[in-house]
Amino acid sequence: MECMPDFELKRPTSIAEVAAILAETPTARLLAGGTDLVPRMRRGIEHPALLVDITAVLGFADIEVADGGLALGAGVTLSTLAADPRIARACAALAEAARTVAGPGLRSAATLGGNLCLDTRCVFYNQSAWWRATNGNCMKLGGDVCHVAPQGKHCHAAFAGDLAPALLALDADVELVARGGARRVPLAGLYRDDGAAHLTLACDEVLTRVFVSESSASLASGYRKARARGAIDFPLAGVACALALRGTALSALRIALTGTNSRPIVLEGTDAFIGRPVDDEMLGALRKLVQRQASPMRTTVTSADYRRQVAAVLAQRLVRELAAERLRHASAS
Amino acid sequence: MNRHDDTAGRGHPVAASAAPREHAAGRRTPLIDGVEKVTGRARYTADLPFGDALVGRILRSPIAHGVIRGIDTSKARALPGVRAVITGADFAAPYGVIPIARNEWPLARDKVRYRGEPVAAVAAVDPAAAEAALAAIVLDIEPLPAYFSAADARGADAVRLHESKTGNIEREVDQAFGDVDAGFAAADLVREQTFHYAEVAHGQIELNAAVAQYEVECGRLTTHSVTQVPYYLHLTLAWCLGMDASRIRVVKPFVGGGFGHRVEPLNFEMITAALARAAGGTVKTELSREDGFLTHRGRPETGIRLKLGMRKSGEITAVDCEIVQRGGAYGGYGLVTILYAGALLHALYPVPAVRYRGYRVYTNTPPCGAMRGHGAVDARHAFESLLDMMAIELRLDPIAVRRANLIVPPYRTINDLQVNSYGVPACLDWVEEASGWKARHGRLPRGRGLGVACSHYVSGSAKPVHWSGEPHAVVNLKLDFDGGITILTGASDIGQGSSTLLAQVVAEVLALPLARIRVIATDSALTPKDNGAYSSRVSFMVGNAAIRAAQELKRVLVAAAAKRLDVDSAEVEWEGEHCRVAGTDRGLDFAEAVATALAESGTLTVKGTWSTPPETQGGSFRGAAVGATAGFSYAAQVVEVSVDEETGAVAVEHVWVAHDCGFAINPLAVEGQVQGAVWMGMGQALSEETGYHEGLPLRPNMLDYRIPTIVESPPIEVKLVESHDPLGPFGAKEASEGALHGFPPALTNAICDAIGIRLAELPASPDRVLEAIRAKMRTERLRARTGATLPTAPVEG
Repeated sequence: MECMPDFELKRPTSIAEVAAILAETPTARLLAGGTDLVPRMRRGIEHPALLVDITAVLGFADIEVADGGLALGAGVTLSTLAADPRIARACAALAEAARTVAGPGLRSAATLGGNLCLDTRCVFYNQSAWWRATNGNCMKLGGDVCHVAPQGKHCHAAFAGDLAPALLALDADVELVARGGARRVPLAGLYRDDGAAHLTLACDEVLTRVFVSESSASLASGYRKARARGAIDFPLAGVACALALRGTALSALRIALTGTNSRPIVLEGTDAFIGRPVDDEMLGALRKLVQRQASPMRTTVTSADYRRQVAAVLAQRLVRELAAERLRHASAS
Repeated sequence: MNRHDDTAGRGHPVAASAAPREHAAGRRTPLIDGVEKVTGRARYTADLPFGDALVGRILRSPIAHGVIRGIDTSKARALPGVRAVITGADFAAPYGVIPIARNEWPLARDKVRYRGEPVAAVAAVDPAAAEAALAAIVLDIEPLPAYFSAADARGADAVRLHESKTGNIEREVDQAFGDVDAGFAAADLVREQTFHYAEVAHGQIELNAAVAQYEVECGRLTTHSVTQVPYYLHLTLAWCLGMDASRIRVVKPFVGGGFGHRVEPLNFEMITAALARAAGGTVKTELSREDGFLTHRGRPETGIRLKLGMRKSGEITAVDCEIVQRGGAYGGYGLVTILYAGALLHALYPVPAVRYRGYRVYTNTPPCGAMRGHGAVDARHAFESLLDMMAIELRLDPIAVRRANLIVPPYRTINDLQVNSYGVPACLDWVEEASGWKARHGRLPRGRGLGVACSHYVSGSAKPVHWSGEPHAVVNLKLDFDGGITILTGASDIGQGSSTLLAQVVAEVLALPLARIRVIATDSALTPKDNGAYSSRVSFMVGNAAIRAAQELKRVLVAAAAKRLDVDSAEVEWEGEHCRVAGTDRGLDFAEAVATALAESGTLTVKGTWSTPPETQGGSFRGAAVGATAGFSYAAQVVEVSVDEETGAVAVEHVWVAHDCGFAINPLAVEGQVQGAVWMGMGQALSEETGYHEGLPLRPNMLDYRIPTIVESPPIEVKLVESHDPLGPFGAKEASEGALHGFPPALTNAICDAIGIRLAELPASPDRVLEAIRAKMRTERLRARTGATLPTAPVEG
């Protein structure tokens, strides 16, 4: 059996206290739902001496409507995101993404902040200590080779959170708090393209809130996820999209991907589709765009080629469906 | 003492019961241990309270193939809290479930043959001390070339895993029945196809665990384990530890699923016992999910080349098949698996000529073994796929082509298997009707399809693995002053419901309520030996023994009642809670009959035994014992799928399955078993597969080993067909395995109906399906360009 290592647990009730603890003990790890961290601790990937349980922090799980947009506490659970009517109205993609994560039990514990800060995953990394050692360890932990691309100099572990692409498509911001103060950055700024260190979050910072603006909340949005099973699985590829139409032409379009790269990516080049209708030609070009920018590697037991192909198919489908839905709405009203 | 005046001792008026008798057999009966399980009261091996047990831990080889130069345990032994450190040198003999293939040591000696093979073990006062001890053991292993595929292991220059096996062939089978060449010559259509099947694992929910208690003063060992075969474990503990079997006691508590993972003694069971002996105390070893995948014993990766000859009528004229199985590093059940594949390949239909060549290959991967549907699942997929393909080519309906090949019992197949009952016709009729086959097959919108397949399986291997000449099953019944009947059985209930079935059988014969009957199972100190829960043998064999035991008890009770009532036994009418003199109202209550019988002999213990009749034990050719059974179950199923041609995702919309179980002693449990079998077949067909990275399992967890979730689970409609087998208990046959084999081919036949692509490999995971679709598109584009000159071979995914 894989036992939990010994650790000290603190349970502060304010963000200021959390920031103070992190400033003092930068090696401490934040614990909310624990659905990502605990399995890693059981596998000997992490052994933090201090865990900071943030579920008692006041206001940490609040959902507030502000300036027509939403401010979501990092401690909001995925089951709340999946069920709350305000989320469904303003950020359908987020609600849909939350519904696809793991199963009901895990969703009731897992949080928004935890999912955004999910560790990257790799079939050579998410294994037992014996397994990793037997395989010579890897660049992400204790070794110097990436078994995915042994000739390369980068860790290719893939980001596999479902919520990040939804919030990237909605152009969300995140609030990061440290003892010295708070900063608000676009969500895309939270990530960098390095499987071994994909978060720009400093070790004394805590992600506290996520903001979706009023203009984003007015977009039609959705999330589609490719996986081998209809529950439990992480995305082989996940696609989120937010769009608006003027008449039949696209007036806004943002697409983001997960599961395919070391960070969730916002698809580049979609501006070229603004002013164009969603037709076969546009969808064909979109397909090529996705296939070019999604760069899955051999980090899952399912082939990288399949993940690239299916990401493109899901992007086409989602854009077609959202556009059709908008047109239906427009003609109805 | 009696409610009635019985001073003369000659009975009293017994009211005739107005209601017709309620039968225990054939009634939908909730499992007698179900409440414990659903309330969490049931205690499994790892839950049992043993007080301060030492922690057992196993060190595994990081090397896939190598010579052990040394294992230095001195540092580990010197650590605080460490009570025992053992290696292969601490065992007296190797083991293996098949007597002629005992080539595995609980801890490797001389060589290691797969990554993860146990090489040393420790017992310590707590997990931290045990882990520290493992880390302090120094292994000196000189690597040898390692082979992770059957083809590599069979290479001309390949180093032998086992010295005695040239070419790394564990077992080669070469069988021919009838005139195969004449059979193909008589065919109107001959087709040949190759297939490939990924390795799959059992995925039983309960993790492996064992607790061993060694009493130093008297040299006795008690082992509690998760086994399906406590008797084989008992024998193996005696061999491996060099102990007299009489000093050993094996207890099987509640078990959370077996599916074949536990039908042979497993290394951790012998290791835990040896640790307990070395430490002179109690040792508990709990294994992880990854450990389970390293212990493995699942269904091997398999390659099949199959050729069939068929007349225009659909009648099969000849079969030629070659099967290669990647068996892993040790023998296990391997030779049985490769023999089952050939024996059950064709015996579902009356085939006149068969050639079968099978190769079981040793490789540097965890050993394969028996898994639900043992040996016959992949072969069934190949056969039912090719049958379907040829039917369509001959413009025959897929159900009609199966009807063109029906057995009429009693029948002896060309490989000497005895068929005494055969429900395939009724099964086909039902699935055809229930699925709306005639109106819907071939007529559904693109992307939606129906597929059919038939299957069969044994009701117990006719010859036990350890042939001792003893009866194949023994049941003891104890009846004492309390009027309760205790069934003492070695039959392992692993969730399939055998304890409930035995209680029903005894209740039926004695016409008593289930409440009077208690089952004590699988404790070698109390219960008669039983070969175990494998090859679907328990209902058939132990059920028959239980009938005979109950008949014997009834005979004793009737004789005692007759004496008390002063009549001949033949004049006593037995009604369970009462008996009476025929044609009168003079009789005894059950308690009086019991008291009378006990007054003569004291506590009653009777026995019933059963053995498979010689004519069902197979032919006389080499390997003939495998596949032979006293009764075959049969099944047919129709699967409806929808296929997303852009993503390759396959969804199972509905399953209609008819299973010929002979007679359903417990229809509720049988339906559950049939659904479970179909569902497990669905897992292999849709998404389950292992995989290795240089011999390290890539999917040793439940995230990457993709057992279907409830989301993938379709409605499964079950029809029980009752063909009343002449040898089965009340006519019953097996019900836990036979419906599994049909699912994978019915699925891929349905995919073909939906999108015109026939997958020749499993699982039908979305990436494989999409690749098959793209390959077909490439072929069609090329054909359009070059003008239809390309061959029309079916697409292989």
